[in-house]
Amino acid sequence: MRLAHAALLLLLAVGCARNKAETIPEPQVAAPQPRTRQPAPTPVDPAAPRPAPARAPAPAPRAGTPAQPAATQVAPPVAEAPAPAPSLDLNALKERLKDTNAIGFFTKITLKNQVDDLLDQFRAYHQGKAKVTMTDLRRSYELLMMKVLSLLQDDDQVLASAIVSSREAIWGLLADPKTFATLQA
Amino acid sequence: MNAHTVALVQSLVVVAWLAVPPQAQDDEALKKDLTAVIALHGLPCGQVVEVKVLAESDYAATCKDSNRYRVYLNAAGRVVVEPQK
Repeated sequence: MRLAHAALLLLLAVGCARNKAETIPEPQVAAPQPRTRQPAPTPVDPAAPRPAPARAPAPAPRAGTPAQPAATQVAPPVAEAPAPAPSLDLNALKERLKDTNAIGFFTKITLKNQVDDLLDQFRAYHQGKAKVTMTDLRRSYELLMMKVLSLLQDDDQVLASAIVSSREAIWGLLADPKTFATLQA
Repeated sequence: MNAHTVALVQSLVVVAWLAVPPQAQDDEALKKDLTAVIALHGLPCGQVVEVKVLAESDYAATCKDSNRYRVYLNAAGRVVVEPQK
C-alpha cells in the first residue's frame, strides 16, 4: 500500500512538474513582445527630442573647450535658459556652498581660497595688470567649476544642478568689467 | 545579584557599541575632507587612510599610496598642504 501511495505521489509530482514546464515558456514568449515593442518607439523619438539633445550638449563643450567655442554657445542656452532651471548669483552660491553638508570644512576653506585667487586674477585682468588672457581665465573658471561639481554631485545634486544652470550667468558676471566692479564693491 | 551584574555589564557593552559609530563617522568625514583638500591642491594621494591631530586645524594625513601630508589652516586663512617625507 505504501508503495502504491508513493507511486501515486510521484505521478502527481511529475504531472505538476510538466504543467509548470509547460506554463513557463508562455511568459517567455509573452515577455519578448513588449521588449520588441519598446525599441520600436525609440527610432520614432529622434524627431521629437531634437530640442532635448540641443540642450544637453551645450554644457558639455563648455567644460573642455576654451573661450571662443564657449562664447559662441552662450547665445543658444540664454534663449532656452528661462524655462528649465533656477540660477544662482555669486552671493547665493556662496551661501549655498557654506550651508551644504556635502563637503567638509577644510574643503570649503580650500574652495574659498581658490575662488579668491580666481577673483584676484579677474581683477588684475580687468585692471590691465595681468598677463593672463580671457581664455586662460575661462579655463581656470571651468576647472574650478569642475572641482566644485565633482565634490557636490554625489551628495548635493540639487546644488550641483543649480550651479550647472548658473555657470554661464556667473561667467558673464565675472567677464564683464562693469558687473565685476559691482561685485567687488 | 549576579543577574543584576550581568545585566549591567551587558547594557554597558551595548552602550559602548552604540557610542563608537559617531566617532568613527567623524573620522571618516575628516578623512574624506582631507582627501578632497589634497586632491584640490593637485597632489597625489588617492584616499586618506589615517589622520593624526597635530593641533587645532592641523593634521598629519597618510594616504593609501603612502604619501604623507601636513594639512593646516594658516594665519592668513588659507589651507596649506605640505608634503612630508
